[in-house]
Amino acid sequence: MSGGLLFDPATIRALAEILRDTELTEIELVDKESRIRLARQLPAPVIAPAAALPPMAWAPAPAAPGAAPIGVPPAAQVPDDEHPGLVTSPMVGVAYLSPEPGQAAYVSLGARVEQGQTVLLIEAMKTFNQIKAPRAGTVTRILIESGAPVEYGAPLLIIE
Amino acid sequence: MPLRKVLIANRGEIALRIHRACQEMGIATVAVHSTVDATAMHVRLADESVCIGPPPARDSYLNMAAILSAAAITGADAIHPGYGFLSENADFAEMVEAHQLTFIGPTPGHIRMMGDKIAAKDAMRRLGVPLVPGSLGALATFEEARIVAAEVMYPVLIKAAAGGGGRGMKVARAESKLEDAWRLARAEAKAAFGNDEVYLEKYLDRPRHIELQVLADTHGNVVHFGERDCSLQRRHQKLVEEAGSPVLGPADRDALGAQVTRALRELGYRNAGTLEFLWQDGQFAFIEMNTRLQVEHPVTEMVCGIDLVKEQLRVAAGEPLGYDQSDIRFHGHAIECRITAEDPESFAPSPGRVGTYHAPGGLGVRVDSALYSGYVVPPHYDSLIAKLVVHGGTRAEAIARLRRSLAEMVVDGIATTLPLHRAIVEDAEFQAGDYTIHWLERFVAGRQGG
Repeated sequence: MSGGLLFDPATIRALAEILRDTELTEIELVDKESRIRLARQLPAPVIAPAAALPPMAWAPAPAAPGAAPIGVPPAAQVPDDEHPGLVTSPMVGVAYLSPEPGQAAYVSLGARVEQGQTVLLIEAMKTFNQIKAPRAGTVTRILIESGAPVEYGAPLLIIE
Repeated sequence: MPLRKVLIANRGEIALRIHRACQEMGIATVAVHSTVDATAMHVRLADESVCIGPPPARDSYLNMAAILSAAAITGADAIHPGYGFLSENADFAEMVEAHQLTFIGPTPGHIRMMGDKIAAKDAMRRLGVPLVPGSLGALATFEEARIVAAEVMYPVLIKAAAGGGGRGMKVARAESKLEDAWRLARAEAKAAFGNDEVYLEKYLDRPRHIELQVLADTHGNVVHFGERDCSLQRRHQKLVEEAGSPVLGPADRDALGAQVTRALRELGYRNAGTLEFLWQDGQFAFIEMNTRLQVEHPVTEMVCGIDLVKEQLRVAAGEPLGYDQSDIRFHGHAIECRITAEDPESFAPSPGRVGTYHAPGGLGVRVDSALYSGYVVPPHYDSLIAKLVVHGGTRAEAIARLRRSLAEMVVDGIATTLPLHRAIVEDAEFQAGDYTIHWLERFVAGRQGG
C-alpha cells in the first residue's frame, strides 16, 4: 500500500504494448530490489470493488490509449501472494480491521503481534469471526481496507 | 422479477452451461470455485468470481455458508445449483430462500419430498402415476418384508429410503435369500445415509431406464419435453443417453406425459424435474424423481429445440411458460456420450493435464465441456469432462453422426472413455436399440474378457 511506481511510466507503457502486440498474457521483470508484473486479465474482477480500490484486486490501470486493459499490482516488493509471512482469509465474507466502527484497529502497521492474537474480523452470515495471527511477528503490510469483501485465500496482511 | 445476477453454485461443464444461458439473457454471473478450479473456463468467463475454499467438495462446493457469503458480498439475487452438490439439498434451498435469494429450482418442500424415496412413491401413488409393485412405505419388520415379497413375487429388491441413484439396493432372488438382503440393505443404508429405513419393490430383470423431462412455471402450467432412454449404465452411472427411446412411439410418450403433467400440476411443482421409470414389457414403473436439471438434458434440448437452462431462469424470474404442450414438437433423434477422465477399460480415474484438445464440429454436433488445451483435470471431483451430443433427422443419422464425431474428437494427455464410446457405437445391438440396463455391463465385461 506504499510508495509510487519504481519503474517509469514509459517503461510500463512499452511493456503494455508488448503484451498487446504479442500472444503473451503476462510479463514479469525482476531486478535486485524490485519486481513488476503486467498481466492481461480476462474479464473477472475477483470481488465487487469497495469504494477505494483494494490494492490486490485487478483493476484497469491508466495505460496508454489503445492499450488492452491490464492489471498492475503495487510494484516494488516481493509479490504479496508469495510472501512467507502472508496471512490469507480462511473464509468468504467482509473483513473489518477494528472490533466496531469508530474503535481503534486491532493492529496497525509496525505493530508486534503474538501468535493467536486477533488481528481482524471477518463477518459472514451475520457472524463475526476473529482471525488470529498464525505466528508472532511484526505487521509489515495491511492488504485490505476495512469493510472489504474477501474470498477464501484472499491476502489480508503480512506478518514478518 | 427479472434476475439480475446469478451465482453458479457448481463447477465444470454444467457451470459453463449455466453461465452461457445467463450471458445470453443479459444476466450477470458469479462463479464460485475452489482453489484448484481458479483457472476453470467458466471462472474466467464469469463476470465475477469468488474463491470459496480448498479443493475438497465439503469445504467448497458443499460449503453452504461460503456460497451464501459469496452471494452476499457480490450482491447476487439468485443461485443456480446445477446438478449434484447442493442441487437436491432441501436445507440449502431453504437457506437460499431465507436469505431473500431466488433458488433456481423447485421448492424446498418438493426437494425434500422427492429426496425421501418412500415419500416420493407415496406421492406418485396418490397422484395416479404407475409404480413398481412393492411395499406401501417403509418396512417395519422382516416379517412384513416377507409378506410383501410373497405378494409381488420374487425376485425382489430391498431399497434404502434415503438412497437413490442406484445406491443402497440389495436383490433377493428367492425367499431363502431375503433375510440376508434385508439385513445387509439396512446396515449399508445406515452406514451410507445415516438412516436404515428400507422399502421393497419387485425386481425387474430386464428393464430399460426411461425418464421424462418436465417443466413447471409458477402459474400452474406444466409441460413435458418427452423421454430420454438412459439404459446404458455401468454401476448405475449413465454413459450414453438418447432422446427419444428407441422402443417408444409418440403415443406412448403422450400417454405417459399426460399422466405425469397432470400429477405435477396437482402437486404444484415448480421449475425443472425428471421422473425416472423402469420400463419392461410395455409397462412403466416410477422409481424416483430428480428435482433438478440432469446431466443429459442436452438430448432433450436438441430434439425439442429448447434451452432448458433459460427456461429454468425464466421460471425462477416468475415468468409464465408462454406455451403449452401442443406447442412442443419432437424433431429427429439425439444421442449423448458422457466422456470421462477414466481409463476406457479399467475405469481407473485419470486426472491430469490435457494436451491437445480438439472438439468435433459440423451440423448437429454439440460438445458441452469445460476442457481446453492445457487444462488440468483435478482429482477431487467426478470424472465427467465432456458431453458429446449429436442430433440427426433419424436415429440412424444420429448414429452415423456420432460415429463420425467420436472419430474426430481428441483429448490428449489423459485417459478418457472415448475408445469405449467408439466401440459402443459400432455394436450391432446398440445400433438396433436393443438393450436394457444390464447391457452395458455385459458389453464392458465382454471387452475385458478378451
